[in-house]
Amino acid sequence: MDKEQLKKELINHIITYLNLSDYTPEEITADMPLFGDAGLELDSIDSLELIVMMEREYGVKLTNPTEGRKILIDVNSMADFIIANKK
Amino acid sequence: MYVIKTSNISPQNTHNGQFMQQTISYTGNKYSAIEPDYTAMIRPAQLRRMGKCIRMGTGSALPILQDEDKLDGIILGSSEGGLEDCIKFLIQIVDYNEGTLTPTNFVQSTPNALAGNLAIMSKNKSYNTTHVHRGLAFENALLDALLLFDEQKAETLLVGNVDEISEYNFNIETKADQYKKEEISSDELLNSQTSGTVCGEGSSMFLLSSKPTNAVAQIVDVSHICYPQKEEIIAFTNTFLSKNGLIPADIDSVIVGRNGDCKTDFWYDLVCDEMFKTQNLYSFKNLVGEYPTASAFATYFACNLVAGKKAPKASIIHECTVPKTILIYNHFKGEQHGLILVKQSQL
Repeated sequence: MDKEQLKKELINHIITYLNLSDYTPEEITADMPLFGDAGLELDSIDSLELIVMMEREYGVKLTNPTEGRKILIDVNSMADFIIANKK
Repeated sequence: MYVIKTSNISPQNTHNGQFMQQTISYTGNKYSAIEPDYTAMIRPAQLRRMGKCIRMGTGSALPILQDEDKLDGIILGSSEGGLEDCIKFLIQIVDYNEGTLTPTNFVQSTPNALAGNLAIMSKNKSYNTTHVHRGLAFENALLDALLLFDEQKAETLLVGNVDEISEYNFNIETKADQYKKEEISSDELLNSQTSGTVCGEGSSMFLLSSKPTNAVAQIVDVSHICYPQKEEIIAFTNTFLSKNGLIPADIDSVIVGRNGDCKTDFWYDLVCDEMFKTQNLYSFKNLVGEYPTASAFATYFACNLVAGKKAPKASIIHECTVPKTILIYNHFKGEQHGLILVKQSQL
């Protein structure tokens, strides 16, 4: 799977796992911030859901909490992490 | 204790206040709650995580909480809590071999999740309890409130219930012969003469006060008994009335939890034939279905009746006078029996 395909798939997983029924996949861009006042405005429980999603869907474990801040920035950073760590 | 405000979400149009004017008929053995548009009162980020149980409870409580800045406690009754989320969580444990699990289903599924959510949303740090005594959970929530008022530990309390239909529970209860196998209309439910009833759900909320100012009704007393013998139920009801200085003739209306199950409806005949032959008699489970905390809906109904609203035709078994002193008699599966005495607030 190339990176563009992965990003599209990730957006769909994010919508499903976080039940973001207000959003369509087209409304979420790869550079949209996941947390903070702009973008999706996700919170700490969502970050746990995203970690579980990456482990279940891609077999990628995020064990160091400080890593999360660099990885869960947007869909781009998540895709980079998955490509770099997927076995 | 006095009822200042009520709010309700049920299979009837209670959320918009139209229930007493017009009722909805159902066919089948599931009466699902009619939910309002929650987006005006619950933030989207919170709403997307809520299961139906939490949604209904929050949607029912917030109209009361929004205007109430001083509340001495939140006391709820729920037999199962968010059972649908609970089952999802348990399935995850098996499917993912006890590995990493998502937190949302678990957080939302415990019976006290609703009371906790309401406390957080209303920034209320006072007494917060959820009673989970199956078919007597709501009665115990009321009893808790009565005791707090009696001990002068509270002046204003939010008391309520929530229970939802979950697929898992519905399937198990169906196998246990709890629900009707035949398609039956709610208009014919109470006279069906067959085994089983229909499944319901909902949430009722009451703002209770120790003072009668602006009250719509008074909840005078509540009592319950488990696994009684047939002859015990009359004595239990008589004792309850005399404890409150009443005899059966002082009760002008009885709301019974008749649910169309020929295995257990005889309890209501026992009590009414012996003690309340001439009184107004109302039903409510043909409108909202059976669920462990359904007596909360009966209490909501009673509050509306003593406040002067006319009973919907579908709820009237027998009516001859204006309701002022109402006894609610409800049981769950013939095992847990509860009595709630509701009066007009100025009586």
